[in-house]
Amino acid sequence: MLRRSLLAAAVSLAMAPAAFAQGGAPISVGAVEILSGPNAAYGTAIRAGLELALEEVNAQGVGGRKIALTVEDSAGNKDQAINAARKLIGRDKVVAVIGPTLSNEMFAVGPVVNERKIPIIGTSTTAVGITEIGPYVFRTSLPESDVIPVTLARAKARGVKTIALMYANDDAFSKSGFDTMKAAAEKAGLSILAIESFGSKDTDFSAQLTKIKSLKPDAVGISALVEPVSGVLLQARQLGFGPETLFVGGNGSNSPKLGEIAGPAADGLIVGSPWFVGKDDPANQAFVAKFHAKYGRDPDQFAAQAYDCMHILADAIGRAGAPEPAKIRDALLATKHDGVMGPFTFTPGRDPASTEGVVVLAMQNGKFGIAPE
Amino acid sequence: MPAWLDDLLWTYQNLVYALGINGLLALSMYVVLAVGQLSLGQAAFMGLGAYSSALMTLKLGLPFAAVLPLSVVAPVAFALAVGGPTLRLAGVYLAIATIGLGEVLRAVYLNVDLFGGALGLSGIPERATAAMIYGLLGLAVLGLWLIGRSGIGRAMEAMREDETAAAVMGVPVRRYKMGALLASATLAGLAGCLSAHVSSFIGPNEYGFEPAVTILSYALLGGIGTPLAPVVGGWVLTLLPELLRGVSDIRLVLNGVIIVLAVLFLPNGLLALRMKRIGARTAA
Repeated sequence: MLRRSLLAAAVSLAMAPAAFAQGGAPISVGAVEILSGPNAAYGTAIRAGLELALEEVNAQGVGGRKIALTVEDSAGNKDQAINAARKLIGRDKVVAVIGPTLSNEMFAVGPVVNERKIPIIGTSTTAVGITEIGPYVFRTSLPESDVIPVTLARAKARGVKTIALMYANDDAFSKSGFDTMKAAAEKAGLSILAIESFGSKDTDFSAQLTKIKSLKPDAVGISALVEPVSGVLLQARQLGFGPETLFVGGNGSNSPKLGEIAGPAADGLIVGSPWFVGKDDPANQAFVAKFHAKYGRDPDQFAAQAYDCMHILADAIGRAGAPEPAKIRDALLATKHDGVMGPFTFTPGRDPASTEGVVVLAMQNGKFGIAPE
Repeated sequence: MPAWLDDLLWTYQNLVYALGINGLLALSMYVVLAVGQLSLGQAAFMGLGAYSSALMTLKLGLPFAAVLPLSVVAPVAFALAVGGPTLRLAGVYLAIATIGLGEVLRAVYLNVDLFGGALGLSGIPERATAAMIYGLLGLAVLGLWLIGRSGIGRAMEAMREDETAAAVMGVPVRRYKMGALLASATLAGLAGCLSAHVSSFIGPNEYGFEPAVTILSYALLGGIGTPLAPVVGGWVLTLLPELLRGVSDIRLVLNGVIIVLAVLFLPNGLLALRMKRIGARTAA
């Protein structure tokens, strides 16, 4: 038996990529994530989600084989991300790559992987233009252009007619989120009274907020990372913004840290999220329980997205019939998956097709909950 | 070419490019340190070279043979403009002023639509080759070595040790400082152009304060006795994170520890050699 499986492994190595062999060598899959440096929290959450899903996948096997996942660190650096992806493809011979963590890294890594005709799937890249890099670039994270219209529709349902927009203009994530928010607000027929920008490290927003207050908008949309959003909210309350003004956050506001930093000042803010820890469908409840059992903490959005992505990829490898990148790509396009984020399919443009899983959350007493209608 | 060799080269292609480009950046730091100037504008010059060349390729569609030499225009013009006032400063004041200039440029990239704002410029075609990068690096090392061996090199060393004394002895201090700054801008501009044309994406945060300090550390780790030393320093700092991939979780920690130990025990750099100068023996 041992000899036979060794033989099978040798044959599949020699004729790689070969068809599935019972008990054959594991299928190599790679991931490039930020595991060190200031943004390591995102990458480690993603790795946790991937590894939890991998355990479940390997318990059943994919066409009789296991998946071996290699996670490489990019440290949030463009060059290191490219080096990591090249190492995974050139040395580890992976059949697909998951990641990288940031959209900026994807703009550098995507073309390299695409050129090699290896599928690459972003689980946390929300910027505009990611999947336009090439025909092998996918993402399972809902781009902001899918989430923000849902949030704004909720705001409209609450009677919002005018909005002022604020954004951090010095990071790609916030700027891209703002572009999306502006387009979505125009499309929803909201009139934009003012557009104000600030820097991610700013601590004083009173000039922008005073101007906005004088215009009396029904809502204020903010696209920035959680720290500056907290600062804006704290100062807005000091300047006398009351509950009559609805604060609408972009994806950056979708972090439990908002309640920790801003406390009651954040109450009432609404944000659209592709996933929520308290969603009560059985798949999600099971995921949260398993994650808690393995890591001793609650999963976040990034872990949930990664968890679904690993299952989607394993499913595609299974349906591809052979672990060959081109076949996996075709199988990915035909994906029909029911994950913790809701029903999932890809558009022909390799973006997530359904926004059914989007939940609108509202901040109440420093914690997110599902927003009341 | 056998498939395994092809794969090996493909795997480390970006690293090979980065080693050459960071070597050029280390030299751009070396030329200002060699005249005793702590000028930290190299990342800013690199950014100007990268952005101007990327725009020439993307918007004007110029061939790379024209883009590469033209990429030095913007950084050199910027160096000429800011050189006059900033070279009156010395030591830490010069360092602060040059960091400030880099931040000004970063704000420009962020706020002018032509530069793509925070999203940067993506989709830059891969035009630079290893031969170009290493050809330029070789020429730069050779050129700086020859200059270092000549009388100019001696004057530069005199300035580095004691600027006032050098000026009294008749060294045209201002002219040499300006020359060093222009050479630094040229080298960094070329490095910027080459890096933009191997990695398909550039963004404003790649040319801010952090990269300025990284470039300084190349020269500090390698030493500034000869032009080869900073290049070796740059290579070590570029290779370390990749060599340490095996120890994933403590990678950056180990990286830092190695640098600290190197600085503690090799205060003059990894290559603490001094150049032999023409006529050195007769002068002694």
